Amino acid sequence: MQTAVTAHQNTAHSKRSYGFLIPYWIHRAVILLAGMMVFFSPVNPGRILKQVNENASLFTTAFSYDNIATQLKSAISRSAITEGDIRNVMTGCLIVLVSVLLCAVGGCMSAGNIRMKKRGIIFPIVGSLGMFGGLSVIWNRYRAVYVFVTENNKVSRATPITADGSMPQSILVFGIVAALILLTSLVILALLIKKEQEEKMEMEEKYKLFLMFLPVLLLTFVFAYLPIYGWRFAFFDYKIGDELSASNFVGFHWFSTLVSNEATRADIVRVLKNTLAMSGLGILTSWLPIAFAVLLAEIPSSKFQRFVQTFTTIPNFISWVLVYAIAYAIFSTDGFINSFLTNVVGRATSTDYLANADHIWLKMLLWGTWKGIGWSAIIYIAGIAGIDQQLYEAASVDGANRFQRIWHITVPGLLPTYMVMLLMSIAGILSNGMEQYLVFSNALNKDVIEVLDLYVYNIGIGSGQIPLSTVVGITKSLVGVILLFGANGISKLLRGESII
Amino acid sequence: MTAKAKQPHAMKIKKSAGDRAFEIILIVLFCLFTLLCVFPFYYLFINTISNNDAVTSGLVNFYPVGVHFTNYTNLLNASDLGNALIVTIARTVLGTALMVLTSAWAGYLVTKQKMWKRKLWYRALVITMYFNAGLVPWYMNMLMLGLTNNFLAYIIPGMVAPYNIILVKTYIESIPASLEESATIDGATTTKVFLRIILPLSVPILATISIFGAVGNWNSFQDSLLLMSGRPDLYTLQHRLYVYLNTTSNLGAVMNAGAGGVNTAAAQSLLNTKVIKYTVSMVTIIPILLVYPFMQRYFVKGIMMGSVKG
Repeated sequence: MQTAVTAHQNTAHSKRSYGFLIPYWIHRAVILLAGMMVFFSPVNPGRILKQVNENASLFTTAFSYDNIATQLKSAISRSAITEGDIRNVMTGCLIVLVSVLLCAVGGCMSAGNIRMKKRGIIFPIVGSLGMFGGLSVIWNRYRAVYVFVTENNKVSRATPITADGSMPQSILVFGIVAALILLTSLVILALLIKKEQEEKMEMEEKYKLFLMFLPVLLLTFVFAYLPIYGWRFAFFDYKIGDELSASNFVGFHWFSTLVSNEATRADIVRVLKNTLAMSGLGILTSWLPIAFAVLLAEIPSSKFQRFVQTFTTIPNFISWVLVYAIAYAIFSTDGFINSFLTNVVGRATSTDYLANADHIWLKMLLWGTWKGIGWSAIIYIAGIAGIDQQLYEAASVDGANRFQRIWHITVPGLLPTYMVMLLMSIAGILSNGMEQYLVFSNALNKDVIEVLDLYVYNIGIGSGQIPLSTVVGITKSLVGVILLFGANGISKLLRGESII
Repeated sequence: MTAKAKQPHAMKIKKSAGDRAFEIILIVLFCLFTLLCVFPFYYLFINTISNNDAVTSGLVNFYPVGVHFTNYTNLLNASDLGNALIVTIARTVLGTALMVLTSAWAGYLVTKQKMWKRKLWYRALVITMYFNAGLVPWYMNMLMLGLTNNFLAYIIPGMVAPYNIILVKTYIESIPASLEESATIDGATTTKVFLRIILPLSVPILATISIFGAVGNWNSFQDSLLLMSGRPDLYTLQHRLYVYLNTTSNLGAVMNAGAGGVNTAAAQSLLNTKVIKYTVSMVTIIPILLVYPFMQRYFVKGIMMGSVKG
């Protein structure tokens, strides 16, 4: 009896595993694809006219009227299309969006037991039908707009996405995906219908936990991994407003431009020099916080220590814009130094210490040190507190003086922490951020202050050279990853511990 | 309050004259550096509350002259500064709250060994701390998502903060597992355990990350600069300050024009560009300085926990 029950359970279990596996995974994969397509701009069924922002995704189109309508202003004013058309397309997009969401709910429920699976399969069936509905709303409106603009000769104002009025690719792609969802849902439904269902809807703990974590993963995907998709701009001759197509595909042209084009190469060399110089100065002075901490610990009053710590960490919490505001207040033509020199010392002329290019690397280092030293020292101060007091006592008994104790006990005690910090800063040698250098840059010092990150911003966002700045960004990201793994390898070799 | 260093020489009985001299030199040096860190804030402040004519002639160097506070009241009325202040406060409150909730939830879930493919997801999350696609691809992505010229761009991308998730995870792992187990045996669901047990117990770490989050939001400049070019009314305070600092023409006139020429009385006393720049800087600094003394221990706790590898 006992064995019979076990045997029965076993067969039930294996049936569940193998009978469903393939259709279910296809089903879920297609739903996931539909979910992603919602955020991809190249497959946006809502983009029925070439004038609509080619960077807008279905998601954007469904929600942001302004995003679409701003580019269509002239088309609307010449009554090539109406606001009603736009609203209509937006409604269609919204229906598709909600339908995809329904499919996603079904996809999640498919991780449950038979009862939950049976309930859940209804969602993708309804969802895929809803997708068809939303798409047909858009498609009908597209046909109407197409016929109207071609008959009234307004194609130049509102250019339909397909020249011959055939079905736009994005609608087709979404339609195929919807059909696949419907098909797999029906197959699963057929498989499910014969199954006995449980009393209650349940789901295994591991899938429950995963589904609870899924929103976090989706956000991570959308904001941290989806940008990698933007690397495609590196392979096209692209300006904002252009479309990516075979005609402006240039392969690795921009990568070779980096070295072959003389002006670009000169820029890159100059910018790299600035970057490495300023990062290098930072690394060379990275022991300063240790000195700060060690010397502070030598003062025999914990009240004084706290006082110093409190006030020297404040600059760390203000932004670089505010640091610049302070620099302005102190060093500009009518700032503190100049008004002190003219009014108190009695000097006749004033100097603008900010708007010049003298010693800019050193100045940036000093500002960085001013802002960061108190904060960076905290970790070492805590490190000193963690050193065994008996070591100091033993050293004193043996006759070691103050400096010998610092050199032979405190410094070695802090070294492991310092090594981690050092390796991390070497790994990040190319990324010194752009904020500090952006706020301090001006026409006079631009050439010597421009670091890699600022250069990417200046050519990409500033002068709209999207492909070139993407190429620089890609190269920087890849070199950064290599450096990080290198630093990690060194750390493993030296300390037997990884830093990432 | 702060990380305290024990006295390495506490047991020493007598100090030599050399030791004394060394300590005094150190104390003087540290006092000087502390002054260097504090004086700029003081200098800015006395210049905003002094007589504006005295400020223009550069007479306010060490102490205020002819104290008044009208600069502050005038500025908030006569400019788009009030707008920037509202935007910044809104993003700080909303952005921080959502980030903390997400971090707590995600940090708790990644401690769950049972989760399907937990290691994979956790790694995927952590990698994003060290790798990013680059500024321009990121910008094009925001464009694709419709998050340019949109207030949501301040809040949603910041919700998942991997570093904070690691901090919360490390902290939750230090909570005795028996607490959670007994609740589970009593029939509490994952959500209930999270709300009733984990959340109350993780208040210290959540306070720490919310302070960091709030300061980060308050100081945010780059996202406003990159994404809000079409909506000056959505500029953050830092961005607004950056714009002011780089305005070389008469700021008083600019602001007066911005206010539609209505608030002439206010604008007249504000015609001094220098004072406007100082006052806006001060408005941006003051909140940080106000919360700083209360929050300092959280800052210190944060950096100490950060040094524990997640």
